Amino acid sequence: MACSNLTTMWVSSNPSLSDSSSLSFRSVLNPLPLPNHNSSPSRSSFVAPIQSSLRELRDRIDSVKNTQKITEAMKLVAAAKVRRAQEAVVNGRPFSETLVEVLYNINEQLQTDDIDVPLTKIRPVKKVALVVVTGDRGLCGGFNNFIIKKAEARIKELQGLGLDYTVISVGKKGNSYFLRRPYIPVDKYLEAGTLPTAKEAQAVADDVFSLFISEEVDKVELLYTKFVSLVRSEPVIHTLLPLSPKGEICDINGNCVDAAEDEFFRLTTKEGKLTVERETFRTATADFSPILQFEQDPVQILDALLPLYLNSQILRALQESLASELAARMSAMSSASDNASDLKKSLSMVYNRKRQAKITGEILEIVAGANAQA
Amino acid sequence: MTLNLCVLTPNRIVWDSEVKEIILSTNSGQIGVLPNHAPIATAVDIGILKIRLNNQWLTMALMGGFARIGNNEITILVNDAEKNSDIDPQEAQQTLEIAEANLRKAEGKRQTIEANLALRRARTRVEALNMI
Repeated sequence: MACSNLTTMWVSSNPSLSDSSSLSFRSVLNPLPLPNHNSSPSRSSFVAPIQSSLRELRDRIDSVKNTQKITEAMKLVAAAKVRRAQEAVVNGRPFSETLVEVLYNINEQLQTDDIDVPLTKIRPVKKVALVVVTGDRGLCGGFNNFIIKKAEARIKELQGLGLDYTVISVGKKGNSYFLRRPYIPVDKYLEAGTLPTAKEAQAVADDVFSLFISEEVDKVELLYTKFVSLVRSEPVIHTLLPLSPKGEICDINGNCVDAAEDEFFRLTTKEGKLTVERETFRTATADFSPILQFEQDPVQILDALLPLYLNSQILRALQESLASELAARMSAMSSASDNASDLKKSLSMVYNRKRQAKITGEILEIVAGANAQA
Repeated sequence: MTLNLCVLTPNRIVWDSEVKEIILSTNSGQIGVLPNHAPIATAVDIGILKIRLNNQWLTMALMGGFARIGNNEITILVNDAEKNSDIDPQEAQQTLEIAEANLRKAEGKRQTIEANLALRRARTRVEALNMI
């Protein structure tokens, strides 16, 4: 009875703050939590500190919930894109297999000849070109940072050796980094786009090719992120030019990976979780029909083959870099979603406690008032 | 006795079926390949590939590579290949003009090499549209 009187008095006094009754009401009730049905916003002005913190908490919980939805969606999008990147690698397989087969066979037939192809010429190194492959967007954890750090380290090494250098930056993140540092000579800024195709690889290959042939640089190195597993990727440096006629691609430490041995990764599900399987694939170098005649002389043929090989290597690097970026984004967004749900849980707990405390206070208040009146 | 043609690019397989005859642009001129051709290996220049299927000719622009002709099996590995039906005339013309402008602006050996390559590619694409 008394309680309903209280609430009606409360309602009537709401509109005008200057009303004396409401003022007295307010002065009595201010230190205590006010009767509040579901924390309706119109009452907030009366109990500013406590109620708005409840509302603040509610708003925070809502925003965390939204953020979680976004990060979850980004993770799924990245997962879908990894599949597409994988398909692109698989589509490029017939090309690289046939190329390697042909290269091997031609080399066998040319064992005795002196091969003098400009792309394999080893000159004393005075200037080195670094092709740095980064991503276009952020929110992928430490992906871009790792590769840029590796590039900086390599630049310091080259400076220590007294060699000149130039950078070809592929990817928006790398571009903006190098743009802000004019003391690093950059040859060209390129962008790979969402899915690297032969066209983008061709642009890089053209640049690298002309730099090497015109003897502006004596060595070209490729810095990209190798896809090791869904949670791990490694920035590596590969020597792109000069090529070895056998088609071996050499690591910076001199470890040569035979071109015939190729590693492919496959995104599969094992026990319901996404995993990556790497399979090493050895191209079957079948015996070529010995009667194969060369339409042009062997040097010209190699001249045509090696740029193809260069192109396919660059494309592989771009594709692997993209796959690593997507995997990094997946894991970053997944941990962001987990953090968001933890935060939501703890905030909800605090919110509920506060709400219950308020209700308890209200009840105490009402009972005290009723007792006072009785 | 039909010829099996495979045109491969790093992106995808552009063509993988049987044809009656092909005309290929190589570094040493154009060669025509009929069934039971002698096995040869040749470099392919930036140029046009013509394919004949039952008295109908199809053109494709190839951006340089390698071709291996075996026992009625032709494998062409190129950096890029576009069927003439896939090329947009306007865009090809524009690319050609840009390439020409770039060549005129080119300074130094390096830029000239790049500009020349780009020009040859653009020209091939436009030619592919104009032929047959």
